[in-house]
Amino acid sequence: MNIREILLASAAALCVGLPVSASADTSDKTIALSNNYAGNSWRQAMLTSWNKVTGQAVADGVVAAADAFTTAENQVTEQAAQIQNMILQGYDAIVLNAASPEGLNGAVKEACDAGIVVVSFDGIVTEPCAWRIAVDFHEMGRSQIEYLAGRLPDGGNLLEIRGLAGVFVDDEISGGIHAGVEEHPQFEIVGSVHGDWAQDVAQKAVAGILPSLPKIDAVVTQGGDGYGAAQAFAATDREMPIIIMGNRHDELTWWKEQKDANGYETMSVSIAPGVSTLAFWVAQQILDGKEVPKDLTVPFLRIDQDNLEEGLANTEPGGVANIEYSQEDALEVIQAAM
Amino acid sequence: MKAVHLLAAKPWIWSWLAAAVVWTATVAVTGGAGAFGLTQAALTFAAFSVIVGTGQMFVITLGPGNIDLSVPATMTLAGTVALKLMNVDNGMIAPGLVVALAIGIAVGVGNYGLIKLLRIPPIIATLAMSFIVQSAAIWTNRGLRIKPPSLLAEFTTSSTFAIPNMAIVALLVAVIAWVLLEKSLYGRWILAIGQSMAAARMAGIPVDGTRFATYVLCAVLAALCGYLLACFSGGAALNMGAEYLLMSIAVVVIGGTSVAGGDSNVPGIWGASLFLFLVVSMLNTYGLGAGFRLIMTGLIIIGVIVVASGRRARQP
Repeated sequence: MNIREILLASAAALCVGLPVSASADTSDKTIALSNNYAGNSWRQAMLTSWNKVTGQAVADGVVAAADAFTTAENQVTEQAAQIQNMILQGYDAIVLNAASPEGLNGAVKEACDAGIVVVSFDGIVTEPCAWRIAVDFHEMGRSQIEYLAGRLPDGGNLLEIRGLAGVFVDDEISGGIHAGVEEHPQFEIVGSVHGDWAQDVAQKAVAGILPSLPKIDAVVTQGGDGYGAAQAFAATDREMPIIIMGNRHDELTWWKEQKDANGYETMSVSIAPGVSTLAFWVAQQILDGKEVPKDLTVPFLRIDQDNLEEGLANTEPGGVANIEYSQEDALEVIQAAM
Repeated sequence: MKAVHLLAAKPWIWSWLAAAVVWTATVAVTGGAGAFGLTQAALTFAAFSVIVGTGQMFVITLGPGNIDLSVPATMTLAGTVALKLMNVDNGMIAPGLVVALAIGIAVGVGNYGLIKLLRIPPIIATLAMSFIVQSAAIWTNRGLRIKPPSLLAEFTTSSTFAIPNMAIVALLVAVIAWVLLEKSLYGRWILAIGQSMAAARMAGIPVDGTRFATYVLCAVLAALCGYLLACFSGGAALNMGAEYLLMSIAVVVIGGTSVAGGDSNVPGIWGASLFLFLVVSMLNTYGLGAGFRLIMTGLIIIGVIVVASGRRARQP
């Protein structure tokens, strides 16, 4: 074989090796990510996953570009202006994590009218022309009580750590937790504090309410607050309750330490930040001409006692347990919503 | 009788009274149980507010328009960089502290540089600075949470003679601040500048130097607080300072320091810090809804400020 033939053969092998799904139909399309906030580890992981998966997709020629833009101040007006800029720049699709469910509807409508596909995820928008990849936060709260009902058949006292007051997500998860307690009346919520999804705030709030509480059997949480709660309990002479975790690295690390030391058992549930890549593939599928229902649901990422080590291995130090979605995963989620 | 009169004339007494009332109301719910735990928790968490609040107090003393909004970002950057440098190594505790304080000095110099050289109002200058600093924190850290060195974690979370170590550190800071404010020439200078910058300049006070030192002091205290908070809570997080922007201003105001500048006191910062922690604990203990809790917090704070400033129909 001479050089020429080797080159030809390699090129042929490469062509065969390319995934079939990388159809050429979207290879000239551009997708933009409009993100409203980057100041916590979840959002950092979300952006990293986006760069990793879309970078590969661009290199493979699936799409022409997939640029990420983040607003500085988490302001609706600022993000609306950002979307208007994206319309002017002529992107074919905008993947959106919105600062407000209603506030951006005007800008989103303008984008739709300009023929741009808008896919909102996590922070979704209500404008009917956009697609929504929403998280079933209510179920996330309810599943915690269901897990606890299995662990503590006789029930017990719960401490609830809520998120940021007045935010839709906080109301939903808390609503789910309360619905779960109604189903399992052997549990009673004896105290409730706002931890703002931040470890230090949760630690402070729990430390403040603990002295006035009876024995706590379990702590139901919203993610980001479990380690803070554990720190607050550790500072007292109370027995460590079952603290539901939220897939953060510090929470999983602490759980692993406790598991190794004394067989501590709990579970952890949250949304993988890689959901941005799911939104990317959904947008790509819509651009590809696929019929996609307007409302999709994000799968939970749940970690249990037996897959803790695996979950921890998939979590960057300081980050959140993550999975990146593939085109096949997106097709599955779309199929499930049909 | 005279003692009561003297005390009532002290602007800081109201925040202490409010803290005592709220403490009693919280402990009453449990019938006395948990009084010790609540006091310890209050002292520990108030300590952080005291450290940042003291810095903010000096800046606010400089007179109308002087404020440092870069406090949360400075805390975050100092905490993240120091923990990254120490990397769980007990031998690196001192270098970590030095780097944290150096970050404070750099931010303070930057703040006053913007204010003086570019003639930007402090509120805008420090806000702009906080964007730069916060971005630097995101850039160096990317959400990484490194555990503090074990000795430091142990020190920040434990107590000496039943008094939390953090409270002892904050008490030291407060004592030094009190000496600076009440007994030193520097303290006289900032009070004079706060009352009238023009008059202070005429009197030959080095106005620029004093203001510069004050902004640096505030940023250094914020950096120290970030360093300690990161160690206390088991690692630095990108949003760890967020709470302390309003907190640092609120403790100054509730503590009886004049927002118009030129009239400050240190004990009030302690009273206000304890009060703000206890209010949240009390409302949580009573199990009130979030909306109601926030409304009550607001109303109680307004109430304390109104009562505290009522005595300010003061002699000219």
